[in-house]
Amino acid sequence: MSRSPRASGYFRTSYDQDLALVQTRLERTSLGVFIAALLAFPLIASPFQLDLACQVFLASIGALSLMLLTGYAGQISLGHAGLLAAGAFTVGILFRETNAPFWITLPAAAAVGGLLGIIFGLPSLRLRGLYLAVSTLALHFVVIYLGGEYEARRGFSTGIVVDPPKLGGVSITDARAWYFILLGAAAATLLVCLNLLRARTGRAWRALRTRETVAEALGIGVASYKLLAFVISSAVTAVAGALFAYYRGFVSVEAFSLFLTIQYLAMVIIGGMGSLLGALLGAIFVTLFPYIIEIGLLALPGAQRHASLLFAVNYAAFGLVMILFLMFEPLGLVGMWRRMQNYFLLWPFKHRRAGGSRG
Amino acid sequence: MVATQLLDREALRRKSAPLLLCERTHTAPEGIAFRSKHLGLYRERTWREYAALVARAARAFAALGLRRGDRVAIMGDACEEWVISDLAAQSLGAIVYGIYPTASASEVEYQMRDGGAVLFIAENQEYLDKLLPLADRLPALNWIVVIDDTATFAYQHPKLRAYRALLAAAGEPDLAWLEEQAARLDADAPAFIVYTSGTTGAPKGALVTHGKHLAAAANIVDHYPTLAQKEHRTVGYLPLCHVLGRDVAVTLPLISRLVPHFGEHAEDLPTTLFETAPTVLFTVPRYLQRFAAQVLLGIRNSGGVKRASAEIAMQFARAHARRRWNGAGGFAERALYRACRAGVFLPLLNKLGFDRLELVVCAGAPLPPQTMALWQMFGINVVEMYGQTETAGGIICGQRGPFPRPGDVGAVPAGWQVKLASDGEVLVKSPDLFESYWNNPDATRAVKNEDGWLRTGDIGEWHAGALRLVDRARDFIVTSGGKTVSPSFVENILRASPYIAEAIVFGHGRKYLAALIEIEADTVADWARSHDVAYTGFTSLAGNPEVAQLIGIEVERANGELSRPEQIKAFRILPKALDPEEEGEPITPTRKVKRHLMYERFKTLVEEMYDDREQQLIAAGAVEIA
Repeated sequence: MSRSPRASGYFRTSYDQDLALVQTRLERTSLGVFIAALLAFPLIASPFQLDLACQVFLASIGALSLMLLTGYAGQISLGHAGLLAAGAFTVGILFRETNAPFWITLPAAAAVGGLLGIIFGLPSLRLRGLYLAVSTLALHFVVIYLGGEYEARRGFSTGIVVDPPKLGGVSITDARAWYFILLGAAAATLLVCLNLLRARTGRAWRALRTRETVAEALGIGVASYKLLAFVISSAVTAVAGALFAYYRGFVSVEAFSLFLTIQYLAMVIIGGMGSLLGALLGAIFVTLFPYIIEIGLLALPGAQRHASLLFAVNYAAFGLVMILFLMFEPLGLVGMWRRMQNYFLLWPFKHRRAGGSRG
Repeated sequence: MVATQLLDREALRRKSAPLLLCERTHTAPEGIAFRSKHLGLYRERTWREYAALVARAARAFAALGLRRGDRVAIMGDACEEWVISDLAAQSLGAIVYGIYPTASASEVEYQMRDGGAVLFIAENQEYLDKLLPLADRLPALNWIVVIDDTATFAYQHPKLRAYRALLAAAGEPDLAWLEEQAARLDADAPAFIVYTSGTTGAPKGALVTHGKHLAAAANIVDHYPTLAQKEHRTVGYLPLCHVLGRDVAVTLPLISRLVPHFGEHAEDLPTTLFETAPTVLFTVPRYLQRFAAQVLLGIRNSGGVKRASAEIAMQFARAHARRRWNGAGGFAERALYRACRAGVFLPLLNKLGFDRLELVVCAGAPLPPQTMALWQMFGINVVEMYGQTETAGGIICGQRGPFPRPGDVGAVPAGWQVKLASDGEVLVKSPDLFESYWNNPDATRAVKNEDGWLRTGDIGEWHAGALRLVDRARDFIVTSGGKTVSPSFVENILRASPYIAEAIVFGHGRKYLAALIEIEADTVADWARSHDVAYTGFTSLAGNPEVAQLIGIEVERANGELSRPEQIKAFRILPKALDPEEEGEPITPTRKVKRHLMYERFKTLVEEMYDDREQQLIAAGAVEIA
């Protein structure tokens, strides 16, 4: 992800500096402020706000992994909810059957996810576009069917209860503790993605998405990099599902409907394809959107009468927003962000190339 | 390290640049001497590495048979190899001279013959191509060395050698050997030749000795003590064959704490400036004008809040700059200006890499006062300096600043004397001037008096302790009305327009002044695009009536600043861009106009400006009679 610095005076004396994630003083300062704000948030937030933040973090992990697969490697997947379910059920089943601790269940979830990634990534070697989408849809139904069977056979027809994970003999139940755990997990995922993308893997994926034939001509092993995208994305997604299981303390197939897959796709589309920042923005937007609609609806006169409509309005508004984004802002939230950023970066000019700075 | 008090010129007079380089390897072996960009990275060269490179190059040149007193010609843009080759040749006692990268073939031939170089060093294939057709006609030439040999693999010439191969063959650098060579140098022996740009007649080569050059260049450091007080980043981009370019890239780093940065290519200057964000810049008016035009255009093309706030800030800064010259302005006023600077000018300067500049020294040609004022409004401390090739790398005058009022070239540096002859010609006296013109004793006698005063050929006047330059001697226009006008003064005001690259004023013995104008292609093209004026290239822009209207407005604006006899009554736009590389072009490689040739070349255009009016008058007169 080599890019030229956004401010003057940063000359490079080694190629490592080309890859540095933070390059200018302004970037360093704003990153510091942002991290400080994230760390300080639990001190002032209400339990409800903390829960929202945790949901955003969980969604971010899932959205980042989908962004790798769809936004960078260009492989469409409709099996996202299935993979989340696979991770969650791995935790549920291992916990129920063997009482395994989290440091076994989480890697196990990643392994299951990775395995599913290989199996359902294989069609991608032959199929493209809509056909690939439909084949990944199979993954969703297989996992949900198996999960449902397990629930029914073992008599957990309402769902599997998972105890909070124990760390040094102490159960993690505190909302603040969960905030930091999920924040850490999301941050770690982001760093892994950033590192993948600024290395050979990321460049190979981008080449794949742009044109497979050319990528192959460039010496990129198309098959292996496609599978790698599926494996990494699925493993990360399964871990997100596992964390979800621990966070909620409950696993049930009902939580992993096809609508969840649509939501995650919405995150990467609304956020902005081909951008990790887009995945994060999309995760925030899609997670918070229903609550915003609810607040809006309740603010209307005679709110109580509309309460029953809430669900329907939510779905409708969600669909409408998706359509509007696809029509008017194909670059998504990240496109808006970049425009805003450019406005200030180019200040007081309107266009680039006012002198030395080249984008 | 260099002390903050005045440099010991007596000691410098007994030294040479290679000797100072060797001294640095002992006093600051790991200090950064310069940075040069290669494949995207700025290679940091310490003094020890620098000396090692020079030692290897010197060994390589010695192996080619280069001896004391031989001449070496180097042609190319500023780059580290230029500097290294220069010091390497100097350390062998050879005399180095640079050829302008933009010189035409006949100019190259003239300088090769006049200088009699035994070794020609070309930066790359481009310069090699200029020399090779002449190579067999130059009896003195023994070897041709090409620095960047990536494009010369198919070149077969018995005298051609690749710089890299020579260095590789020279083996491990031997610093002790270099020191021995440097110690053997006679400080009073010639070090290099700098060819004058030759606005009047053929270029003359000014011969400069080792010691005098160092002592002369020391007057810049003494005049601008900040150069020695702390480490400064600068960009080495001015042609090294020019004495100012040599000062910046070779000499000043040795006697001050200036660290030059060389870009990947000369045409990448904007990128190099942006990446390195220099703190000190030595420049010529042309660059300041060009960047200023881009900035002004950028503001004009930007819309809404951005443009409005930039314009308000400029309005305010204009008043502030004026108050600063007068030493006035209260606390609140200064605070408000600082807000403007932080809000508008610093982000703007950042785009150019100008935001950390503490000192910009402009020399080489007169800087239009408006351009200087504009940069000062942005908060750039632009000062004007006046020197000549014949002053051996030292300056005759320089504005100390900070933020001096435009219009003069400042005060005389310590240890130098300047006086005006009875006709106003500037005379300068110093122990450290050039020796003589190469192969031209008559020309030497014409400028160097027995009593040690050097005639500069420029006409000046004193103004409150500062020297003000009026014009080149005898370069005045006397109109048929008997008014004496300085063409360069008028041209300078015209050049302040972002749309005018070059202006040449005529009018000697005529009724009024007329000007030939070369348009600034970039800005005019931009103007054309934003005004829906269709064009295909330079010629179509230059011939466009709407462009002529635009230039007309600019000329009118300039006329507003001029007294009646100085006003331009007619102008023509040059149909082509002036290109020094072309044969017989009326412009020197430094883009100085050769006035006579200009007239010869564009005679019809000039005459048209007068004829046309005459005809109209006659026609008008005829109507009256009829």
